Amino acid sequence: MFGIEINQRRLVNGSLSFVALAAIMALFFAYRSHAQHLIPHNVPVSLEHLPYYAFCSFYRMLAAYIIALLFSIIYGMTAARGGLYERILIPAIDIAQSVPVVGFFPAAVYFFVALAHGSRFGVEMAAVFLIFTSQAWNMALGVYEAVKTIPDDSRDALESFGARGWLRFKRLLLPASVPKLVYNSILSWVAGWYFLIACEIITVGPASYWLPGLGSFLWQAGEKGRNFDLVAGLLTLLAIIVAMDLIVWQPLSMWAERFRYEFAASSGAAQSLGMFSALAGIGPAVTRALRAILLPPMALIATALNAMPRGPQLSAEQSRRAGRIVRTLVVGAVLIFIAWALARGFFALIRTLSQPWPSEVKEIPPAILASTIRMTIAYAISLAWTVPCALAASESPRFNRILSPIAEIVGSMPATALFPVIVVAVVRFGGVNLASIVLILTWMQWYLLFNLLAGANQVPEDLKEAARAFGLSRYARWRKLTLPAVTPSLITGSITGWGGGWNALILSEYFVYKNQTYQVLGIGSLLDAATYKTGNGVMILLSLLSMILVVLLLNRLMWRPLYNLTTERYRLDY
Amino acid sequence: MALLELKQVSKNFAHGSGTLQVLDDISFDVDEGEFVAIVGPSGCGKSTLLRIINGIVPMTSGQVLYRGRQVDGINLECALVFQSFALLPWLSVKANVELGLEARGLPLAEREKRAGIYIDKVGLDGFEEAYPRELSGGMKQRVGFARALAVEPKVLLMDEPFSALDALTAITLREEMLDIWQSPDMPVKTIVLVTHIIEEAIELADRVIVMATGPGRIVKDLKVELPRPRDRRTETFNALTDQVFSLIEERG
Repeated sequence: MFGIEINQRRLVNGSLSFVALAAIMALFFAYRSHAQHLIPHNVPVSLEHLPYYAFCSFYRMLAAYIIALLFSIIYGMTAARGGLYERILIPAIDIAQSVPVVGFFPAAVYFFVALAHGSRFGVEMAAVFLIFTSQAWNMALGVYEAVKTIPDDSRDALESFGARGWLRFKRLLLPASVPKLVYNSILSWVAGWYFLIACEIITVGPASYWLPGLGSFLWQAGEKGRNFDLVAGLLTLLAIIVAMDLIVWQPLSMWAERFRYEFAASSGAAQSLGMFSALAGIGPAVTRALRAILLPPMALIATALNAMPRGPQLSAEQSRRAGRIVRTLVVGAVLIFIAWALARGFFALIRTLSQPWPSEVKEIPPAILASTIRMTIAYAISLAWTVPCALAASESPRFNRILSPIAEIVGSMPATALFPVIVVAVVRFGGVNLASIVLILTWMQWYLLFNLLAGANQVPEDLKEAARAFGLSRYARWRKLTLPAVTPSLITGSITGWGGGWNALILSEYFVYKNQTYQVLGIGSLLDAATYKTGNGVMILLSLLSMILVVLLLNRLMWRPLYNLTTERYRLDY
Repeated sequence: MALLELKQVSKNFAHGSGTLQVLDDISFDVDEGEFVAIVGPSGCGKSTLLRIINGIVPMTSGQVLYRGRQVDGINLECALVFQSFALLPWLSVKANVELGLEARGLPLAEREKRAGIYIDKVGLDGFEEAYPRELSGGMKQRVGFARALAVEPKVLLMDEPFSALDALTAITLREEMLDIWQSPDMPVKTIVLVTHIIEEAIELADRVIVMATGPGRIVKDLKVELPRPRDRRTETFNALTDQVFSLIEERG
């Protein structure tokens, strides 16, 4: 229909991807059928089943990512069409991004389990949905920005040839989005792991559903006191993340460079974690070798296929008309679905809230206060060590060279995986409060550190030299130059840090460890208790709504104005 | 009958709360085989005018007729050459040149054949598989020409095609462009060139249309009847240049 031709390069690429995918799938299903009768429900975890858990987590991530990828392309490109699309879809991303995803997990579990008529598949769908929501928004925003910044002349060039629809998508819109898509995919996988592990922990903990994965493995290992298994699980997770970086993200980042407009070469370059850069050549080398082997047979097949007669081709006008009809149908169906879902949701909301409110409602304000205090403490601790680190890094390039890669590697590990370890330590030595603060800390501090280091690296050398040349003391240099220069990055890091922190809060304020429930006063624990213990719909809804309200208010009234103020005032364009 | 007829073309852009008039009552004809240059200061809307002729930008009022008929949307008998080259960085030279042919739905073999012919014609033989970022500015614009010529348009629209090049490259490319235009096997004979360089317009065109700004309008339409190849150092050439220069200056 779109005038598909077959050439050998395309065949090689296609068959390579197919073989790779089929190999991973076959491995999984072979292992699964082998392991299925070995792992009945809730049998104590053991090391020999670790690959099974790892596979489960990985496939959950993959499924969510593929959906997020397709979604983000459609969403971003629709938003980039401008007009009403843009005015609705872009603010929607802003809200969706700041809502604590983990808070929706209980609701999602109930929704999808009901949808799947109570089968385990519902829990799987809920987890995939949650990871999807943690991955999709920044990618969609990336696509939107990429399409928006395509030079007018490129658009005009295609327009003047009458190139529209599929051809425009294939030749202009999609290629132009590749660098931002790759860069955001890397970020999305980091966030995805974080939420996946959180979901899996929740399911074995308070929710007591069966969602096999690295998160549930780690949690159970911690609960059973199997320290060796705990370490093995963490190492497996680390191995998967490092392997992904080497075989997928590094080659992809390199490939994505080809899709960059020259004038944009310096800004936001796609980069993988850059771990073990000595091994970086392996991925491309293997691909090259496979390509060389596959090329001759594929050339034969391509010749044979091209010799075959083709069906009739549609004229440009016909395919354009077909495209228009398809688009109208799809947009119409989506609009009807959204309207239906919104109406249903709205009525459900009214119905739930018109039930008598339980007496715990009055606990919500103090709970929110307690949670906010916990967040603030974690934030203060994070600031206390990351800001001096950034200052030191701006002073000493050597310190910066050591710190930056370490921060990158540690920061790419999902902090939620450490939660079982934290709990084991804290239940022995301290309270839930401490566990909660530590878990929030594990997320917040890295985001602050990343952004602060990036900000410190952006302070121009000549400004530093000027400060030295005028004989400013070290303290004066920090106060006059470095601190103002890193302030915008500090705010950006704070926004991300607080955003993720709320998720950590929900996970950590209420947990079941060795059949005993641990909880503290807090909005996360109210939400969890209402979901897993009392099942009170009004409470679930009210805690969720009030938390979202607080998050949105904090964003609108504090972070957004601060961000605008600091980027305006401390921007480095001198 | 003229190949292109512009009748009272006007263009307004939304600007803040009101509208900004960019083009006011533009009317002129372009005959088949004619080389017309539009000269004017920046902001006179000459690039917008070119895009209106192509049908990429809709006009606010007026008419553009091609062979006496109004064209709905894009006029596929036109092809554009850009100041910024507007090559897609992720496509090879060959794939860039094939772009317009692909949009016309030509089969692969035909596309490759034609792309080969025109890449050859602009002197880029051997660079088919190179990517734009590997080429110099002059070579990039050759790809731009090849891409426009490959669709074998009836009208070639050029938007400041030599302005992003260094002076020496621009001279060479101008000469080659003229050679290609004058060679007998060239399908495209009609050219509309937009430029702010007065000497370039007088050197290349049969007719120079001088525009003024605020809003963009035509102040003079003059024939250049100097024999080709034209020498920039002659007195008649300089007299023409001065005439156009003072026309622009007194309105600018």
